[in-house]
Amino acid sequence: MNPMIRKELRQRMRERRGWILPSLYLLTLSAVICFAYYQSATMGARQGWQIGVTLFLTLAYTQLGLLLLMAPIFSAGALTIEKEQRTLPGLLTSLLGPVQIWWGKFAASLMFILLLLVIGTPVLSAVFAFGGVGPWEVGIVAFTTVVILGTISAISLYWSSAFRRSVHATAVSYVTVVLMTVVTLIIFGMAMSRVHAENGWHSIPLKVRAPLYLNPLFFLTSALVPKNQLYPEWITCLGAFVAVAGLCAVLTLRNLRRSGEIS
Amino acid sequence: MIEISQIQKRYGGSRALDGFSLRVEKGELVGLVGPNGAGKTTLIKILSTLIRADSGVARLAGFDVGADPLAVKRVVGYMPDQPGLYQDMRVREFLEFFTEAFHIPSQRRRAVVDQGLAASGLGARAESFVEELSFGMKQRLFLAKTLLHCPQVLLLDEPATGLDPLARVDLRDQLKHLNQQGITILLSSHILADLQEICSRVALIAEGKNQQDSAGNSIIELRDRDASQPRLYEVGVLQDGERAGQLAGAVAGVKVLHAEPARIVVEISGDAARAAEFLRQLVVGGIAVVRFDRPPATLEQRYREAFGEKPR
Repeated sequence: MNPMIRKELRQRMRERRGWILPSLYLLTLSAVICFAYYQSATMGARQGWQIGVTLFLTLAYTQLGLLLLMAPIFSAGALTIEKEQRTLPGLLTSLLGPVQIWWGKFAASLMFILLLLVIGTPVLSAVFAFGGVGPWEVGIVAFTTVVILGTISAISLYWSSAFRRSVHATAVSYVTVVLMTVVTLIIFGMAMSRVHAENGWHSIPLKVRAPLYLNPLFFLTSALVPKNQLYPEWITCLGAFVAVAGLCAVLTLRNLRRSGEIS
Repeated sequence: MIEISQIQKRYGGSRALDGFSLRVEKGELVGLVGPNGAGKTTLIKILSTLIRADSGVARLAGFDVGADPLAVKRVVGYMPDQPGLYQDMRVREFLEFFTEAFHIPSQRRRAVVDQGLAASGLGARAESFVEELSFGMKQRLFLAKTLLHCPQVLLLDEPATGLDPLARVDLRDQLKHLNQQGITILLSSHILADLQEICSRVALIAEGKNQQDSAGNSIIELRDRDASQPRLYEVGVLQDGERAGQLAGAVAGVKVLHAEPARIVVEISGDAARAAEFLRQLVVGGIAVVRFDRPPATLEQRYREAFGEKPR
């Protein structure tokens, strides 16, 4: 096992936020599910599966929203903390290469997010009680969420390698999350107001749709279509997110190789 | 063991290193002194593979620092001025992490950590968190980490910064001990008394270049290497310093540098027997000698000669 991963996980679990954030996450998720159940149950006589689907969708988007808020916390400070504590030269002069350092930081951030996803499973099990949702839907939503959060972690790690202070890296990471989640929607909305798409989604020009392929909410939504309709939207989003994550990883490695200059 | 030739490094428009050269033999403990901004830290960072030189050659244990950084990392231990430690790790965990980071085989790791703890005197604090240690202990811990992979060369950048006097003495003793074990050490420091005590030579650096003292030397020898080199002697006399100076000037191999009523300073070429003969001639010549010794040319004095009196 990469020693960086073990070190990172050990340090994270010793921090107060190591248990505060999962607790808050679980409490919020439970509260939202209870509220969604109450709302859907009081909206009149409904089928069980309809309640199940409503709860599942609420859970999926809430989970993504919460994790989008939490992901930068885990990764934006990962490299800046090494600069602030002056521990980066120790790592760079050891036999750990930049790739191992990056992978250790990235994997540890993602593992913590996976931990949050896993501890949300009991809440998710409530959905199954109502039906309407199968393992495929749960699986594809979980996978999409992990890809989105992996990309956000890679972006935050890049900012962490580019800045010296955690506070700056975290702020810019949140700005990036807002750009991807909100600004792309606004751009799409503005572009849509100038085009006439009478034959549905596929008649919208690609240049108008393009910003949405980097939108986490759109990516998650595209995962909820039937299996045979995953192409082209979900696949395109997957490609776009993986490409952004890959680019960020390459740029982070480049910064790490140069970081002896500023450490 | 360390060969630096015409090394250059620029940061934007300013030259941090401008053709500095130095050669350190195996088993030597060499100091590096110069004013702030002289290029000491940049040089040590280049040698430890943290940054790349723009031009010039730097080799450690035969490995080119620029071309083969991994091989250099295996033989070098680097200690910066402020020990970067994970405050939320236990002392043992910290060392264990670096045994893995230096790819020490798993079956040897525990023994290496125990050895590091014993050598640093931190055995009793193995389960303490790093943040609970004093600054001196943290420095010892960092040195223990630096030595985990048994480096042949130690590069130390101002390691005594912030240490109290006792911790400084402790660090000095550790460095002497490591040097006696055969580890080559290049030590940058502003604490000249420490360098004077433990180094065999001190290299002068200013504005990224080799700096020369008033005698034209860019390396100050702190231990006598060549007995044939002239040595300074100070002779205390009873009121007849002038006559002692005249007498000394007539002795072969003796050059009078300074004469006062109660003291003369001479330079004697040759070995100690020549000095003994000179002393005998003074006494035979009726000079009342009350003191005859070799004033050490302090590093501080030489530093002032090389860099002037004004702070930079």
